Amino acid sequence: MIRALVHLALAAPLCVLGLAWQRHALGVDPQKALILESGIWTFNLLMLVLLLPIGARWAGWPQLLRYRRAAGLWVFTYATAHFIFFLSFYLGWDFARLAEEIAERPYVLLGFAAWLVLMLLAATSTRQAMRWLGRNWKRLHAGVYFALAFAVVHYLLMIRSEWAWPVSYAAIALVLLTLRLRRMRLPQN
Amino acid sequence: MTRVTDESTFRRRRFIAGALGLGAIGAFSGLRYGGGVSVAEETQPQQVASADSSMLVLQESGERLTTKYAATHYNNAYEFGWDKTDPYQKSGAFELKPWQVTFDGLCAQPGTFDLDDLMGMPFSHLEERIYDFRCVEAWSMVIPYNGRPLGDILKVVEPLGSARYVSFTSVLRPEQMPGQASAFSTLDWPYVEALTIEEAMHPLTFATFGVYGDQVLPQNGMPFRITVPWKYGFKSPKFVVRVTFTETRPDATWHIENPREYGWYSNVYPDISHPRWSQATERRIWNEGDIERIPSRLYNGYAEEVAHLYPGDRQQYR
Repeated sequence: MIRALVHLALAAPLCVLGLAWQRHALGVDPQKALILESGIWTFNLLMLVLLLPIGARWAGWPQLLRYRRAAGLWVFTYATAHFIFFLSFYLGWDFARLAEEIAERPYVLLGFAAWLVLMLLAATSTRQAMRWLGRNWKRLHAGVYFALAFAVVHYLLMIRSEWAWPVSYAAIALVLLTLRLRRMRLPQN
Repeated sequence: MTRVTDESTFRRRRFIAGALGLGAIGAFSGLRYGGGVSVAEETQPQQVASADSSMLVLQESGERLTTKYAATHYNNAYEFGWDKTDPYQKSGAFELKPWQVTFDGLCAQPGTFDLDDLMGMPFSHLEERIYDFRCVEAWSMVIPYNGRPLGDILKVVEPLGSARYVSFTSVLRPEQMPGQASAFSTLDWPYVEALTIEEAMHPLTFATFGVYGDQVLPQNGMPFRITVPWKYGFKSPKFVVRVTFTETRPDATWHIENPREYGWYSNVYPDISHPRWSQATERRIWNEGDIERIPSRLYNGYAEEVAHLYPGDRQQYR
C-alpha cells in the first residue's frame, strides 16, 4: 500500500507533464518545456534519492530506505524521458547528429554520461545483480555521485546570463557530496 | 490588397529593386515619404478563414505565417526576464508612449526624433514585409513586420564618410522592465547592438514599428526595433532609443557576455558549428505546439541579397 503510494508520488510529475502536453497547456513551445521540465525533475529526484538515508536517520524512520531502489529507478525513467525528448525534438532521431553533439558539446556529453551511469545502476538494481556483484555492488552504486556531478556541470553549462537556478542546484549537490565524502572518511561502524 | 502578396514574393528576392527606389525620397522630404511609394494599403496580413484557425496563410501566395499568438507569446526579451513567457507576462507596466530616438555620433544632422517622425506616415501606411526570423537558439518563425527600410531614416541624418559602424542602444527602465532589475543576471543594461554601416544601410534592414499590424507589443520590441533578417535574432535590437554612428567597432551585449558563443556579426551560418546549439536545422514554430524541424539556410535564406557584404572566409563573420 505504502509502496504503491510512493510509486504514485514519484510518477506524479511525469504524469502531470504528460497530461499538460496532451491538453496543450505547455505554451507555444511544448518541446522545449518537456525537455526542461523532465531534466529538472530528473535532478530533483536524484537529490531526493541521495537525501533518503540522511532523511531516514534524522527522522528516525529507517523504513524510508526500503524505497531507495524504487526512487532510483524513477530517476532513470525521468532521465530517459529527458534524453528521448532531446533526441526526438532537437535531433529528429538522427543518431549521426547525436554522435556529433556528444563529440562537440560538453553539456551533451555530460548529460549522456550521467544517463549511462544511471542506466548501469538501473540494470544492476535487481537482487540477483546484488548477489552476483557482492561487495562490488556498493562500490558500483556509489557511482550515483558521478551522475550527480555530471548533472551539476551539465546544468551549469546551460547558464547564459541568469544563474540563480543552476547555481542553487549546484550548491545543494555540493552539500550532498561533502556529506558523502565525510562519511567515507569516518571509521565504519 | 495585393500589396501583401507582392511583399511575400518580395520576401525572398525582390527587396533590392523595391527598396532602392525609395532612397532619394528621404533626402529631400526629411523623414516623410513622397506620395504613395511602396506604401502598403493594408497592413493586416490576409488570412484564409479556413476551418482551422491555427493556420495563418496568405491568401494569394499560399505562404504560411506563424500565428500572431505564437509570435507574441514566445519571445526573448531579457529586459523582462529570461523565460520565453516573461516578455508578454511582465511587460504590462512598460510605457510605449511617448517615444523618442536620438541620432548622434558621426553624422551631419544629429537630433532627437519622435516616433511619428521616424515613421513619416500613418502607421497603417507603412510597408509590410514578411521575414523569416531565426533565433540563435535554433527556432524560427515567419513574421509580418510593419516599418520602412532603416537606410531611409539614416540618410536623413547624413552619416559622415568616417562613420563605419552604427550602434543601437535600447531603453533602460528597470522600474518597468523587471529583467533589468534582476540580481541574478550577468547581462549589462541597457542592451546594445551594432551593425556595420553597409549592413545598416542595406535595403533588407528594416526599421520596425509593429508586427501583424500591431504597435502595442513590447514583447516584440515595440515601439521601435531594428530587424536584420539574415542574422540571429539578438542582432535585431528592441526598444531602441539611440542610434550612434562610430568609426570604431562598437560593443554588443551578448558578444561581450560570451564572444565565443555570440559572434559580433552573428550571420546565420548553418554549417558553422556553434558551441551551444547546432545551427544545421531549426525548429519552425507555426503555432502553439505546432513545430516543424527544417534545415537552416545560409544567411537565413537571404544569401542572394547579402552574401556580397562578406567577402573572404565566412569564419570571420560568424
